Amino acid sequence: MSLLALSFTLLFVIITMLVSVWQKLDLEKDIAIGTIRAAIQLLAVGYILQFVFQSESVLFIILIICFMIIVAAFNAAKRAKGMTGVVWRIILSIVTMEILMMGLLLSLQIIEATPQYIIPLSGMTIGNAMVACGLFLTQLKRETESSKGEIETLLSLGATSRQAVQDVLKRSVKFSMIPTIDAMKTVGLVQLPGMMTGMIIAGADPVEAVRYQILIIFVFTSSSAITSMMLSMLCYKKIFTKDLQLKDWR
Amino acid sequence: MTPLLQIKQLKKKHWDVQLKSELFSDITTTIERPERIALLGKSGEGKSTLLRILAKLEPVDSGQVYFNGKLMNEVDSRTWRMNLCYVAQQATMLPGTILDNLMISSKIHNRNFDENFAKQMLIEVGLEHLDWGKRAIELSGGEKQRIALVRSLLLRPTILLLDEITASLDQQSKELVEQLLNKHHQNEKLGFIWVTHDREQAKNISERIWYMENGKLARDIMTSEFFDEQAIFQSQVKL
Repeated sequence: MSLLALSFTLLFVIITMLVSVWQKLDLEKDIAIGTIRAAIQLLAVGYILQFVFQSESVLFIILIICFMIIVAAFNAAKRAKGMTGVVWRIILSIVTMEILMMGLLLSLQIIEATPQYIIPLSGMTIGNAMVACGLFLTQLKRETESSKGEIETLLSLGATSRQAVQDVLKRSVKFSMIPTIDAMKTVGLVQLPGMMTGMIIAGADPVEAVRYQILIIFVFTSSSAITSMMLSMLCYKKIFTKDLQLKDWR
Repeated sequence: MTPLLQIKQLKKKHWDVQLKSELFSDITTTIERPERIALLGKSGEGKSTLLRILAKLEPVDSGQVYFNGKLMNEVDSRTWRMNLCYVAQQATMLPGTILDNLMISSKIHNRNFDENFAKQMLIEVGLEHLDWGKRAIELSGGEKQRIALVRSLLLRPTILLLDEITASLDQQSKELVEQLLNKHHQNEKLGFIWVTHDREQAKNISERIWYMENGKLARDIMTSEFFDEQAIFQSQVKL
């Protein structure tokens, strides 16, 4: 795509702004900031990736993945206001998932060990894991509040913290996986995924694009399951005080 | 001899810190052996909170509680709750069937499920007709309350902390529950602290009254004495 063609896409932003002005949505400032940020961030990422792909340095790959994980962890942790020490727990969960996923993909030679494959796939799985973490924490908070009676009944009968929240954790992990499982069920019927669409537009063979999309969907399912379960194991004790009483998590 | 339960200078602030006042303070009393105690007082005096503190479900602001001479903070919460078991006013059924609910404490503590004991108790509270495979959530409020009580009794605690557990029961079921607990007191040496607003019930199920008023344990006397005092007070008011 030429720069001239790219600049024409600003027309879509102008249409959105006009709608905002016409309907008095008061979104013009947010749209302007969003447009500038998106353009700068994506262009910067494009140049960084170009540099990393050319250098083929393992250190740069690791640095980029670490950066992605840290940003994802801080973003997902916003869903757990009032819970301390949650950022490093998310980081540990995503790192474990990333090592397992990439380990499998590379050792089975499903993908090539080059930055072109490792970085985009890591980005997508980390992003998916971030959504799963955010959903898990949101649901854990809701479930803890709505199932207070259930948890305290179990505590009253002498349950451990794990026994008291086992069902709450199960329900929260299940909830965090709903978008991934729903996407897996409807892919191709309701939506054409971004990666597949991008590959086709860029001129790849549609069958080859579909193969990669299948890979991505399976990796997503497994990554959200691993991350949510790991996070649930690392987080459940944070719901309780040292005396095994439910914390007022507000 | 070491008292069974000792409460010393217990103080709890209102949950709403802006109120800045104490819910209760200076609660000091002793239970020497498993006793039947009725905890009376107006709504909002902190009776349920006191029970929850004794069950270690809520933190205390100051004061100490000892069970068999051991300080609450120094005893593992699980061990503590196996001895002082709280039964809430709103019975919560755990996911699954009635049998799942009845078996829960044996599952938690890896013990054998005493089916005959459970059956016997269900007969005594008028629930012998229930199909144990039925989903617990489908039970009526009164049935849930009685299942919750039996579930706690299967844990075989030393003291039961009962929070208005018969409030949603009809007269007949209420009497069955009272009889069951009185029998357990006699045969199994079960002690209980029972929050109730029903004075007639307090007479039937207790030998001792704790009466909370203005954030204090205003009276801690034998049940007969308490009701004698009340009768005298009421006759004086009439005069």
